[in-house]
Amino acid sequence: MIELRNVTLKYGEKTILDKVSIEVKDNTIKAILGPSGVGKSTILKLMLGLIKPNSGQVFVDGVDITHLKEVDLYPIRRKMGIVFQGNALFDSLTIAQNLSFFLRENLHLPQHEIEKRVREQIRFAGLEGYEDQLPESLSGGMRKRVAIGRALIFKPKMILFDEPTAGLDPVSSRKILNLITDLRNHSGLGAVFVTHIIDDVFAIADRVAVLYQGKFIFDDVTEKLHQSDHSFIRSILSDKILEL
Amino acid sequence: MPLTLIRTLGNRMILQLKEFLLTMQEFFIFSLRAFTTMPKLKKYWRDFLDQATICGADSIPIVLVSSISIGSLLAIEVGNLLEEFGAKTMLGRSTALSVIRELGPLLMGLMLSARYGSRNGAELGAMKISEQIDALRAFGTDPVAKLVMPRLAAALVMFIPLTALADFSGLQAAALLAQHYHKIDPGIFWNAVYPRLVAKDFVVGFLKAPVFAIIITLVSSFNGFSARGGTAGVGISTIKGIVVSSGLVLIANFYVSKIVLENM
Repeated sequence: MIELRNVTLKYGEKTILDKVSIEVKDNTIKAILGPSGVGKSTILKLMLGLIKPNSGQVFVDGVDITHLKEVDLYPIRRKMGIVFQGNALFDSLTIAQNLSFFLRENLHLPQHEIEKRVREQIRFAGLEGYEDQLPESLSGGMRKRVAIGRALIFKPKMILFDEPTAGLDPVSSRKILNLITDLRNHSGLGAVFVTHIIDDVFAIADRVAVLYQGKFIFDDVTEKLHQSDHSFIRSILSDKILEL
Repeated sequence: MPLTLIRTLGNRMILQLKEFLLTMQEFFIFSLRAFTTMPKLKKYWRDFLDQATICGADSIPIVLVSSISIGSLLAIEVGNLLEEFGAKTMLGRSTALSVIRELGPLLMGLMLSARYGSRNGAELGAMKISEQIDALRAFGTDPVAKLVMPRLAAALVMFIPLTALADFSGLQAAALLAQHYHKIDPGIFWNAVYPRLVAKDFVVGFLKAPVFAIIITLVSSFNGFSARGGTAGVGISTIKGIVVSSGLVLIANFYVSKIVLENM
């Protein structure tokens, strides 16, 4: 379980997050919805301890990670995988090397175990035959699936997705959303995804939190979003896609 | 009105000073991290070899071009000057001191600041912008140990032979020019070089190599790591890295010479 408790984050004089609290339980898919530049991706980075809040606390499985040293954060981070918006694949490495990179870096596994895990992820991502290709030669959807495969390589309990369908065509978007649902249904993996596409939220999210002007104005099961009378939520429900 | 203007300017200066101090603090921590991760060199030996090739073998042409140019120019200009005093035979001595103590290492430092520093800044900046550095951290790899420390170690190792190469080629070029332009016998030229060179001449020149390696690698890498704001941000951080490291190389060149020559 991941929890942000009364977290405030400022960049210079500008307050990005103002005493926000959010909880993500295991085995649930939680969406964080909001317009671009509101601080949605920042929340994912806070959850991983990649940035520190100005005040407030961040808990992962009950452990307060707010002031942990970078070295102490590494084992915590391995409980979560992250899929960055631009995938953040290493462009000079092949697909197989991208998938095995962190296993070789951080776990002292025998070669056959590394190869087994990479094969599993290649199969899972439907990328058989592309193992030796560089990321630049793949389509956007395929690159996203490699990034998801990489996020799964440590067998985490939770995956964080930063705008998982941004820039993808409708078919690829559908595949990625189905993949996230399958991971929850078949592997029991929880997911947090930030998005500005409301249809994605209704398609897969169990719960949704709406971030607006540095605060969560809604945090409940997805179905209840329609019952909100907040003017911003009413407007996004009618527009479907938030201002890019 | 003037009071408000002074107050605004004052506030802006205080803000800039705060930002500068904060950046210096971050740079200090970053540099410390690069040195303290040196024990992980064994783990990243492949990265070290890659970087050693980039900053060492691949930099040979640019080092040769700059050192041969400066050796030749020195031979012509200093030779002309010495001829006025009838002291042309001292050309070897004066050229050797200039090349070994100052111009060989300095030009090599400036060339590598442009070549190796810009590569580091652009490469690491692009990795920062595309979130690859965040990905390293997110999956439990120390990006400074993986990306900066091998660059630093490679520069520390390779800058010394590059300095030797710059000195050697610069002097060879000067000797050739002395023979063909000033009609000085090579024996006379080299006789004015070797017997008179003392230890501190080499200490001054070769001490600059590791100092420049540290400055160029850490400044350019830090700027790469600090890149933000898309592709334009990569350009800005790269330029900043080259300008700052070149400036620091010039300043360090002066102080290393001053300190060594005063104390040896």
